[in-house]
Amino acid sequence: MSEQAYIDIDSVVAGYVPEVNILNELSMKIDKGELIGIVGPNGAGKSTMLKTFFGLIPVRSGSIKFMGDDITGLVAHSLVSRGIGFVPQTENVFPSLTIEENLEMGAFLDSGSFEERFDYVTEMFPKLGERKDQRAGSLSGGERQMLAMGRALMMKPQVLLLDEPSAGLSPALQDQVFVNTKKINATGVTIVMVEQNAHRCLQICDRGYVLDQGKNAYEGTGKDLLSDPKVIELYLGTLAQQVRS
Amino acid sequence: MPKLAKNCIAGLALILVLVLSFPIAVLAQSEQAITGTLRVEINEERTPVAGVDISVVQGGEEVGVETTAEDGTFAVTVPGDGAYSVTLNTDSLPEGVTLQADATETLEVRVESGNNKAVIYRLVSGDQGETSAFSDQAGKVARLVSNGVRFGLIMAMCSIGLSLIFGTTQLVNFAHGELVTFGAVMALVLDNGTIPFLVAAALALALAAGFGAANDLVIWRPLRKRGTGLISMMVISIGLSILIRFVILWQVGGDRQAYSKYRIQEGIEIGPLSLTPRDLIAMAISIVVLVAVAYMINKTKFGKAMRAVADNRDLAESSGINVQQVILYVWVLGGLLAGLGGILLGLDQQVRWNMGFDLLLLIFAAVTLGGLGTAYGALVGSLVVGIFIELSTLVVAPELKSVGALMILIIILLVRPQGILGRAERVG
Ligand SMILES: Nc1ncnc2c1ncn2[C@@H]1O[C@H](COP(=O)(O)OP(=O)(O)OP(=O)(O)O)[C@@H](O)[C@H]1O
Ligand SMILES: [Mg+2]
Repeated sequence: MSEQAYIDIDSVVAGYVPEVNILNELSMKIDKGELIGIVGPNGAGKSTMLKTFFGLIPVRSGSIKFMGDDITGLVAHSLVSRGIGFVPQTENVFPSLTIEENLEMGAFLDSGSFEERFDYVTEMFPKLGERKDQRAGSLSGGERQMLAMGRALMMKPQVLLLDEPSAGLSPALQDQVFVNTKKINATGVTIVMVEQNAHRCLQICDRGYVLDQGKNAYEGTGKDLLSDPKVIELYLGTLAQQVRS
Repeated sequence: MPKLAKNCIAGLALILVLVLSFPIAVLAQSEQAITGTLRVEINEERTPVAGVDISVVQGGEEVGVETTAEDGTFAVTVPGDGAYSVTLNTDSLPEGVTLQADATETLEVRVESGNNKAVIYRLVSGDQGETSAFSDQAGKVARLVSNGVRFGLIMAMCSIGLSLIFGTTQLVNFAHGELVTFGAVMALVLDNGTIPFLVAAALALALAAGFGAANDLVIWRPLRKRGTGLISMMVISIGLSILIRFVILWQVGGDRQAYSKYRIQEGIEIGPLSLTPRDLIAMAISIVVLVAVAYMINKTKFGKAMRAVADNRDLAESSGINVQQVILYVWVLGGLLAGLGGILLGLDQQVRWNMGFDLLLLIFAAVTLGGLGTAYGALVGSLVVGIFIELSTLVVAPELKSVGALMILIIILLVRPQGILGRAERVG
């Protein structure tokens, strides 16, 4: 890792309700162009970590740096103009807007490049182009997930934060999401991806973190984490061993 | 939360109307009268009409009755300053003479102490009435529908602001009626003879837009920052409504007042309708403005951002939209539209300190009817309510016409809980 990390999250404490911290001194260093997987039990604070990084939840202590600049406490819409995109876990499309309008909102700060980005996104997800006048509220779960990712890509982000992009999708579509994520990553976009689908996620990512109770419990390459007995016990589950024995 | 808010609207609004609309006693003493001359054109000659009963009523009590003299004149002495309704007893009109098609027998007038107030009744001789190709009843329905459309269009401008504010912030703004009054009153205050009325109206609109912005910046934005609950905010808006209303009462008084221009105009006959140029221009302005607003909401970047904020505030923020700024502009737009509605209403029915508040219940009815938070819904709902309350006077007393509007509200919501244009909420 370089002297100064591309993204440097340092001992961040954050939470929703006063006095209750969900993130407890969480630290991460991420390099440019990495594909990072974040896994962990339900309620570990994975979504909270992404929202805090993105300025939707105030930081109580600690700092967040992006490309050397301190971005702690900046509001979300100003992070968008710095090249960070976020796809939330739930409610990640505008239901009463059409697909095209959703994508237009994605390019809100840079309307000039709408045409070019629209072509790029609809090439990746052809279905979105075919149905561009359909209301997002009437899309299926998987189609919404595509649109949500497409919307975030409209601003040509340098960093993409994905919160469970494969949730609710059929196995084949899940694979599709991971393939797309890898493809986007290959164009130089740094990706931080939260996933419950740990095996698939850790297989494709450069490095992974296991979060537990608002702290990073383990960190390592995808393969290392998958075979680490402690990780298996805490999070991945021992079903395979139990069945064997 | 919108559902809860929806339930609260109707209940609270009813209570407020009952508790707060008390009559203002007007005290003063000196000599003044309501005067006029009745004439009718027979064979191109203006002939006085004698022996017609004119009665004057104030607050439900009869103040005086007079009969027109041989020269057609009458003068009813009234006790002092205030609003009176003057009624011409149509039964006492001589054979063959009737009121002009669109004229009403009862006129609302305001008398200032020491000054006589002249009222005008337009009479036509019978054979003129019969040349009309339309039967009486059909003509009456056409006139009521035209009145309803005119009133509905004005109401639509007031409703759209309320609907957009609700859509983007979930706030049920009980002080929206005061935005309407504010615009009308500012135009009245500025219309003092030194500047042309249209300039005064334009300035008033600018002030109304500023007033909308001030509402958001001073009250609602800080409350949103603190995470104040929606019910608390609604109660605050009720308090704000009362406060603004009584400040206006204190500043301009409790009487109806008219703008200096366009008070009395000759009607233009269009089929069975007789519309004054003032009515026609008001309708034209309303339609142009509403079309412009619809275009803005649907096609412009700001309109789409507004809909995005209404759909999902966090996601809008995550897309790079400055949500607080969008909400501020929505307030500016809401203040502007309500102010324009107020001025047009003031031209039509004169300006009064509680004109907006009286309209509030109908605005709520229109917005709820059309589908909360949808701009088109507010437009359709306003037209339905406007036409319905006018048509209902065919069967119920005019004083009860607003009650009819609330009845249709209840009936439609029983059949379509999401409103006429509202989309049923997706489950799951
Ligand atoms: N809006 C909120 N207000 C209060 N507490 C919240 C809120 N959102 C989440 N929490 C709490 O924060 C904790 C962490 O939630 P978070 O959504 O970050 O978990 P997660 O790791 O993403 O879990 P999952 O895998 O189930 O999505 C949970 O205990 C949750 O109850
Ligand atoms: Mg989560």
